Amino acid sequence: MSTKGDILLRSLVKRYGEVVAVDGIDLEVPPGEFFTMLGPSGCGKTTTLRLIAGFERPDEGEILLDGVDMSRTPPHKRNVNTVFQSYALFPHKTVEDNVGFGLRYKKVSKAEAARRVGEAMELVRLSGLGHRKPGQLSGGQQQRVALARALVLEPPVLLLDEPLGALDARLRVDLQVELKRIQETLGITFIYVTHDQDEALTMSDRVAVMRDGHIEQCGPPQELYEEPRTAFVANFLGASNLVPVSVARNGGPGANLTLGAFTLQADECPDELQGEALAMIRPERVRLEAHGATGENRMPGMVEEVVYLGFHQDVRVRLATGALVRADVPNDGDAVEYAQGDAVSVHLPPRYLRVLAGDASATDSDPTAAEAEPA
Amino acid sequence: MSDTTLLERGIGAAPDRRPRRRFQLRDPWGHPRGLALVTWIYILWSLVPVLLAIRFAFNQGRSRSAAQGWSLRWFTQDPNLSVLHDPTLSSALQQSLTLAFFAMLIATPLGVGLALGLQRWRGPGSGTANVTTLLPLVTPELVFAVGLFLLFTTAFKTIGLGTTAQIIGHVTFSLSFVVVIVRGRLATIGSDVEEAAADLGAPPWDVVRRVLVPLLLPAIAASLLIVFALSIDDFVVSQYLASGADTTTVPMRIYAQARAAPTPALNALATIMLTITLLALGLAYLVFKFMTRGEGGGSAIGGLAGIEAGIDAGGSR
Amino acid sequence: MTRSLIWRVLAAPALVWLALFFLVATYAIVSVGMGNVTTLFEPVPHWNPLDWNVGYLKQALSDVAPGGQTWPVVVRTIAYVFVAMALSLVIGYPVAYYAARYAGRSRGIVLLLLVLPFWISYIMRMFAWTNLLAPDGYASKVLDALGIDTLMNKLGVMDGSDWLGGQPVTVVLALVYGYLPFFILPLYASLDRLDHRLIEASRDLGASPMQSFWRVVLPLSKSGILAGLVLIALPMFGDYFTQDLMSGSPDTSMIGNTINGYVQGGSEKSLGAALTLLLSIFLLVFMLGYLRSMRAEQREAAAA
Repeated sequence: MSTKGDILLRSLVKRYGEVVAVDGIDLEVPPGEFFTMLGPSGCGKTTTLRLIAGFERPDEGEILLDGVDMSRTPPHKRNVNTVFQSYALFPHKTVEDNVGFGLRYKKVSKAEAARRVGEAMELVRLSGLGHRKPGQLSGGQQQRVALARALVLEPPVLLLDEPLGALDARLRVDLQVELKRIQETLGITFIYVTHDQDEALTMSDRVAVMRDGHIEQCGPPQELYEEPRTAFVANFLGASNLVPVSVARNGGPGANLTLGAFTLQADECPDELQGEALAMIRPERVRLEAHGATGENRMPGMVEEVVYLGFHQDVRVRLATGALVRADVPNDGDAVEYAQGDAVSVHLPPRYLRVLAGDASATDSDPTAAEAEPA
Repeated sequence: MSDTTLLERGIGAAPDRRPRRRFQLRDPWGHPRGLALVTWIYILWSLVPVLLAIRFAFNQGRSRSAAQGWSLRWFTQDPNLSVLHDPTLSSALQQSLTLAFFAMLIATPLGVGLALGLQRWRGPGSGTANVTTLLPLVTPELVFAVGLFLLFTTAFKTIGLGTTAQIIGHVTFSLSFVVVIVRGRLATIGSDVEEAAADLGAPPWDVVRRVLVPLLLPAIAASLLIVFALSIDDFVVSQYLASGADTTTVPMRIYAQARAAPTPALNALATIMLTITLLALGLAYLVFKFMTRGEGGGSAIGGLAGIEAGIDAGGSR
Repeated sequence: MTRSLIWRVLAAPALVWLALFFLVATYAIVSVGMGNVTTLFEPVPHWNPLDWNVGYLKQALSDVAPGGQTWPVVVRTIAYVFVAMALSLVIGYPVAYYAARYAGRSRGIVLLLLVLPFWISYIMRMFAWTNLLAPDGYASKVLDALGIDTLMNKLGVMDGSDWLGGQPVTVVLALVYGYLPFFILPLYASLDRLDHRLIEASRDLGASPMQSFWRVVLPLSKSGILAGLVLIALPMFGDYFTQDLMSGSPDTSMIGNTINGYVQGGSEKSLGAALTLLLSIFLLVFMLGYLRSMRAEQREAAAA
C-alpha cells in the first residue's frame, strides 16, 4: 500500500458572506483509506471537498498533502484529482482524449501516454470505446470515463463528489462494488462525498457524518451505526427510536433511565450525561413479547400501526408513557403476526440501549427530510 | 345550446348542425381561432409589405408602387440606373459590407474575451464592468450616436468622421450583444468542465484554449452573424458618423431617396441586402448545427436561446 | 492570483474599448451640453466639471417646459409613444400568447415568421410602406376603397387623403409596425417559460379559462410585458427616421427630430447635446429598471 496520499485538514473555515459553509474542520485521512464524508445537503461536505481540490480558497486553516500545505496552491498544481457529480466530461473531445487530457501536463512521452490511457480504460472496463464522444455513452459509462480520466494521472488522493448520484439504483450498487475494487487495487486515498448512507456504509473504511459545517462524528461505519454519539448521527445513519428519559447514574458504567413510571437499565452511559437525555435503540433490536411478559426493561404497549415491508414488518407500538417505539420484526415465517390494537410487551435489552445527549425536541426531527437530494 | 333556444330558432333552422358548431367554438380543448386569426393577420401585415417591395424590385417599368412585369433591369441591366451601374448604389452596398466585415472581425474577439472575463472575474471592479457591458444594450440609439458624433468631432478629432468612426461605432454597440450570447452559452456549459480541466493540471490559459474556446465555437458563430446583421441594418450610427457620399451605407441611401421618387433600383438594392443577411443567417444556422451535432439537443437549443437572449436584451438596433 | 488575473486580461481590451467609445462618448454629450461655442458656432466641450456652463441646459429646459418652443413636440412625442405602446400591447400580446401556447405543430414556422422582421433592416421595412402608401400605392387604394381614410379624418387623426402627407395616424402606426417585433419576442420568451401546469392547476381549482388567464397567466407575464414595453419605448423616444420617412412634416415631428435637427443640422450642436442629456435623464429610469430585471433573470438562469 502506498505511503503517499496523507491528507490533513487543520481548522479549515470557509464562509460565503454570512453563511459559514465549513466551520473549523480538523481531520486526518491516512494513505490508502477509503474515507467518506456523509451528510444532508448544505452540511459542508462538498465545500470541504472543493477546498481540498482547490476550487475554493479557505478563509482560515491549512490543507496538508503529505505534510505540505497546499491551501494556496491553484487546482492545476495540486496533486489530487476529482470525479465530478456531473462527470464534467469535455463534450468536444473523444473518450480517449478526455482520459488523456491531463497527461499533457505530466511530461510523459506519446507512447507512454497512450499506454497509460489504455491501462486506465481497461481498469474501468471501457476498452474499445475510446473513439466515441461522451454524448454517445450511457450514464454509467460516462461515470467510468470520469474515473479513468482522474486515475490515469495516478494521484495519491482521489476526490469523488457524489459520483453515483445521477445513476439509477441498480447501477449504483454495481458501481459501488467496482469503486471499492479499484480503490483496493490501486491502494490510493479516496475521499468520497455522498448523502447516501448505504454508499457510505458499503464502501468506506471510515465515515465522517457532517452537519452545519462541522464533523458530528467520525469513525468506521460499524462504530457509527452501533455507537452513535448524537441523535443526529443516530437518525442519519439508519433508523432509530429516540425516547426522552431522565438519567440517574448507578455507580457503574451504566445508568437508570426513568421514563414515566418505568425505569430502564442501560449497560453503558457516557459519564457526562445527567438529567434530561435521550434513550436510543435501533428498531431491529426492539423485541416484542406477549402481553403480560414481565422482567427487566419491559414495558406494556399497544400496536398502533403495522407496515408490511416484505422481508420485515415495521410495527409501531405506543407505550403506556405515550412514547412511540418502532420495532422491526423479521418476516422469517415463525414470527407472530401483529395487528392494530394488539396489546404487547416491549422489551428494550439493556445492552442495546444507548444514552445520547438531547431532549424531546430531537425526537421530532424527521430523518427522511435530512436525506433530501442536494440541489 | 339549450332546448329553449332551439325552439325559439324553429325546427327548420338546421338544428343539428348549428349546435355542433357552437359547441366547437366553446370547446375548451379546441384551438383558439380568434388568437390564431390575430396572429396570422399580424404575420401577414408584418411581412407582405416587404415582399411587395421585393416584388417591385423586379419591375420592368419605373413604378415602385405597382407591379409592372418582370425583369432584372434594376439589378444589373439598366446601363445607368441599376444597382450595378449606378455608383451611388453600388458604393453604398460596398460600404455596408465593409463596415459589417470589420465590425464582425473586431467585435467578436473583443466580446468573447469580455464574456469570459466577466463570467469568472469576481471582486472589485467586476460590478462596474458588468454594468458598463449592459448599458449599451439599453442606451437609445440616438443618444449613442450623438455621443459618438460629438466625441469624434471634439476629443478624437484625429480619428474624425468617416469609415473608421463608423466601424468603431458598430463595434461598440455590437460588443454587448456578443457578450450576452457568449455568456448564455457559458452558462449552459457550466463551470464544471473548467474546474475539471484545472483539476487535471491545465493552467488557466490552457483551460480557455483547450476547453472553453472549442465549446464556445457555436456561440462565436452566432456572434459573428449577429454583429454582421446589426451592422448591416444600422442606420443612425452610420449616418451620424458618415463623412460624405463615399461613406453612405445602404440604409442611409434608402433613407435619403425613399421619398424622392427614385426608381425600383432602390428596391433592388434593399433586396440584395436582405438576401445577403438571410444567406448569412442560413449559413450560421448550418454551422451552428454542425458544431453542436455531438452534444444532443439541449446545447443546440441553449445556443439558440443565447441568440434569442441577445435579441431580447438588445431590442431594436 | 493567476486565476483572477487571466480573466481580467481577457476582459481588458473590450473594457478599454467600451470606456473610450461608450463612456467617454456619453460624457462628451455632457461636456458639449455644458460647454461653449466658438464664434463659428463650433462646440467647445468643457471636460472639467468645474468649468461647466449651464446656459444651454437652462435653455433646453425652458424649451421643453410648458410654454417653451419645444413643449408641443414633447407632448406629441409622449402621446405618440404611449399610443404606440398601447397598440403594441393589444396586438402583440395575443400573438405572443398564441405562439407560446397554441401554435402546436406550426410553432416552428410561426416563430420563424415572427423573428424574420429582426433580420430585415428597419429602414427597409419603413421603405416598403412608402411604396405602398404613396398616393397610387396598393395600400392607399385598399384603404380608400374601405373608407378607412374617411374614418380617420372623422376621428381627427388624419387630414386629407395622402397617407404620407404628415398624418399622425401614419406615424403612430409606422412606429407600431417598426417596433412591434421587439415587443413580441421577449414577451413570447416569458410566456413560453410559464409553467403550463400552473394553468392546469388553476383550472383544476375551479377557474374558468378567462379567470385563469386573468389570475394566473397575466400576473406571471407582467415582467415580460414590462420588459417588452421598455424595450420598444426606449428607441421610440429617440426615433427621428420613422417620422422623416412616413411624414416629414413639422406637424408630426418628435423629440428625436428636434435633437437630430440641432446636432446634424449645424449651428446648435450644444443645445442639441443639452437636449440629448435631458432625454437620457428622462429615459434613465426605464433603462435602469430594465437592466435590473435583466440581471435578476441572469442570476436566475445562473442559479438554475
